[in-house]
Amino acid sequence: MPLSEYIIMRELNHPDINQFAVYRRVGGWETYAAALREQTPAALVQQVKDSGLRGRGGAGFPTGVKWGFLPKGVYPRYLLCNCDESEPGTFNNHQIIDRNPHQVIEGVALSAYAIECHTAYIYMRGEFASAALLLEQAIAEAYAAGFLGKNILGTGYDLDIYIHRGAGAYICGEETALMESLEGKLGQPRLKPPFPAVEGLYGKPTIINNVETLANVPRIIEKGVAWYRSHGTEKSPGTKCFSISGHVNRPGNYELPFGVPLRELIESPEYAGGMRGGRPVKIIIPGGASAPWLTAKHLDTPLDYEGVAAAGSMLGSGAVIVLDDSVKAPHVAYKMDEFFKHESCGKCTPCREGTHWLVKVLHRMAEEGHGEANDIPTLHSIYRQMEGNCFCLLGESAVMPIKSALELFPEEFEAIVKG
Amino acid sequence: MLLQTHQAEIETIIGRYPSKRSAVLPLLYLAQDTYGYLSPEAIREVAEILELPPTQVFEVVGFYTLFYDRPVGTWVIQVCDDVPCCYVGAEELIAALKATLGISEEQTTADGMFTLQRVKCLASCDRAPVVQANLDYIYDVHAERAEELLNNLRARAAEAKQRGVSGRFAEDYLLGPQGIVHIPRDAPYQQERGERK
Repeated sequence: MPLSEYIIMRELNHPDINQFAVYRRVGGWETYAAALREQTPAALVQQVKDSGLRGRGGAGFPTGVKWGFLPKGVYPRYLLCNCDESEPGTFNNHQIIDRNPHQVIEGVALSAYAIECHTAYIYMRGEFASAALLLEQAIAEAYAAGFLGKNILGTGYDLDIYIHRGAGAYICGEETALMESLEGKLGQPRLKPPFPAVEGLYGKPTIINNVETLANVPRIIEKGVAWYRSHGTEKSPGTKCFSISGHVNRPGNYELPFGVPLRELIESPEYAGGMRGGRPVKIIIPGGASAPWLTAKHLDTPLDYEGVAAAGSMLGSGAVIVLDDSVKAPHVAYKMDEFFKHESCGKCTPCREGTHWLVKVLHRMAEEGHGEANDIPTLHSIYRQMEGNCFCLLGESAVMPIKSALELFPEEFEAIVKG
Repeated sequence: MLLQTHQAEIETIIGRYPSKRSAVLPLLYLAQDTYGYLSPEAIREVAEILELPPTQVFEVVGFYTLFYDRPVGTWVIQVCDDVPCCYVGAEELIAALKATLGISEEQTTADGMFTLQRVKCLASCDRAPVVQANLDYIYDVHAERAEELLNNLRARAAEAKQRGVSGRFAEDYLLGPQGIVHIPRDAPYQQERGERK
């Protein structure tokens, strides 16, 4: 059953909500205005903690807990909104911006107030130039209405929000690489700890949250923790904008409460509408390119963090790629690892060399159809040398496609080796 | 020189950050929009404005894929070839574009109109195959639409030339009374979930 009231994709309830006047008419910016007048930042942090909101960018870390890591009394602090969405299968951030941009900006502003910060940057991947313009306009409208700038609504609170466009590098979605990029350096990850909440942008306490995460905040504060928690499950409250793509009839973004079975997302005529041509499901990648693969036997997995983890994968960014039996597993692994090879920043050896050699072997096998006797042990040996040894999660993620393919479809690799 | 032609814009950009170095990406975009690509002189100019050693700007240009350190076509056509695009028509589209244009990936047509690139994830998997032409997204471009796509782009280049718009990334953006206005070229999403144009 589709939601009657959406939390994020509210254009489905209010068709012109991307217009500032319409957003205002349905109560937009009122939550922020009331919070500035009536609530302390600490009270807001507590409500976000109580709501159980979890980071939508992939890690699923509780947002309020993350905010609580900020060291007391250390200023300035920065808020970064991560819109560097660049992983195969992910495509909800820029659509949320297209459809409901003002809620994103209100979410950034309200969260900035909650963490007592006066400068927020929205880091968008360079390709999202038109979405960046949309947000620039939404920000300009918020300034004009007095919701941003100096001494906002006479409360003494100051806030500036800026858009910063990246220039084509997936790694900049990694939070510390994002900060390096924003500082004008190569987008390469930093060693953690120190974590960004303690020492982040320009060495100051910094909170980084995904677009979808921050867009939830005004709704939590407006409608209350109990209302929010009436969606989803105990440990994964709220809704998620699932991005489904691949061989389904109706690829797209669908906002569902957490816990809906994978089968419903794929098969329901309300959502992806089943497989093209009625072909069987072969591979399901449930949480972006870095998630271990599932198969048709996992169709009853509930789509929440715990359910997908119990099935042996991860919910990640909620980007679900579904492939039918027309694809060959070694080829899917090749294409996925080619992505990670291209996007490897080159900083650490296991990732830089590991992705290079994986792709070299997989290209010969999957594209040229030529296998050598040692290929399968070689592939196992390469990913084992990467696993647990990479500087950041990019390299670790590159292990998943090849490991899954070898585990689930060994016969397809053997067939290539046998010729 | 950028500092002469875009001084106010440059000052605004630098003013957004506590550190000048943070302005390196926006200023490289500005230089690229103005000059068409990032020549060594353009890169040194950005370094000078930001008081950075030139090597720190050169390495940034090399790191990010949207910066071009050599001349490119009026249109840079980027086709995503990742999963799932590659399984729903991206490879066929790339083959059609190569055949029609008579070039391979990373090459530019002799008339200087098109540069063709294979790229990684454009984050629009629901409307694959997807193309980004300069900074415009064009969705659902199956191979049979290749010819139409190229003709549209040629017509837009001619139109931009007539308007006297300079800079290869600027042709779709006009300065209106309310600021920058984007002229949408591809049908927007319809509000109804799942329905396509």
